[in-house]
Amino acid sequence: MRNILLLIIAGIVMSGCVAVPVTDTKQSAFPAMYTDTKPVSMIIVPAINESTAADAGDLLNVTVTQPFANPGYYVMPVSIVSDIFKREGIVEGTQVKGLPASLFKKNFGADSVMFMTITQWDKNYAVIAGNVTVGIEYVLLSTETNEVLWSYTQHVVVDTSGGNSGGGLIGSIIATAITTATTDYVPIAFQVHQRASGALPYGKYHPKSGQDGADNVVNIAAKDAALSD
Amino acid sequence: MKIIASCLIASLVFLGGCAATVTEAGYYWGDYSQTLYKYTKDPSETTLAEHVEELEDIIAKSEEKGLKVPPGIHAELGYIKARQGNDALAMGYYEKEMSLYPESRLFLERLTVETSKGSDQS
Repeated sequence: MRNILLLIIAGIVMSGCVAVPVTDTKQSAFPAMYTDTKPVSMIIVPAINESTAADAGDLLNVTVTQPFANPGYYVMPVSIVSDIFKREGIVEGTQVKGLPASLFKKNFGADSVMFMTITQWDKNYAVIAGNVTVGIEYVLLSTETNEVLWSYTQHVVVDTSGGNSGGGLIGSIIATAITTATTDYVPIAFQVHQRASGALPYGKYHPKSGQDGADNVVNIAAKDAALSD
Repeated sequence: MKIIASCLIASLVFLGGCAATVTEAGYYWGDYSQTLYKYTKDPSETTLAEHVEELEDIIAKSEEKGLKVPPGIHAELGYIKARQGNDALAMGYYEKEMSLYPESRLFLERLTVETSKGSDQS
């Protein structure tokens, strides 16, 4: 696992297309999360899917609650929220993006609203091991002040082969063919969120809430955002 | 005042020992994402029943482990019960969610209004 991470990091550094990740403390990267504007609750609107994979939206929507509730936030029940949106004819975040964030305070009682934009979800069927390249941007807005409280952009390659299969090359080919056909992408979407929420300052319900200001965070958000323009 | 109150509550929770806690690793979620995904992709009585079973299991296991039930679990069960016409059960779950997570009050009260409206019409 560590090797894969190293490879990914090496790949990023060597490819040169992405700036070397900058390490920062959580407090200096996201100062608004250490003031009175720090939210207790967040509403997560359905993802904006700009990728070519139709399923990516559902995958990332159903897996987002757990990784963002665990750091200590009250995540408004995503399945109920999306049901309410659906009845209003809203199935994608794009449809609510222009609306004032205060609307989410008034209608749902949420302190913050999170938008997710999936920029890439490309499945790669290699012979030995499959993987998915995922690009996603998160923006957390205050519903009181409209300011950006937290944001995170990531580009990750997630391995889908799920361990070695043995049985030589032919065995591997068959195993890969089988796994790519039936690959369970739920844990992959989950991993993507988990990485992002690791950069989120702890919320009210986490035992370390307010004590993580000096923790380091790899703040690649600003770099990627600058590059995508 | 608020801070003092939360400190008091926090110390009570710690002193209580048996009171539900949140660990650094988070909550117990079981297979929540999996059953929700299956239900989202293929909404049927079977997939819904599986998801309901998972939600009930998360509550049971959390209580067993002395952990706080994760945000939204009671609310989601309540919402499903309301849609199935079981308003009394729905209210019970909403109440539980609000007592665990006071931030959910405004949202759940709006759902409650909706639920009672629904039963007026039927």
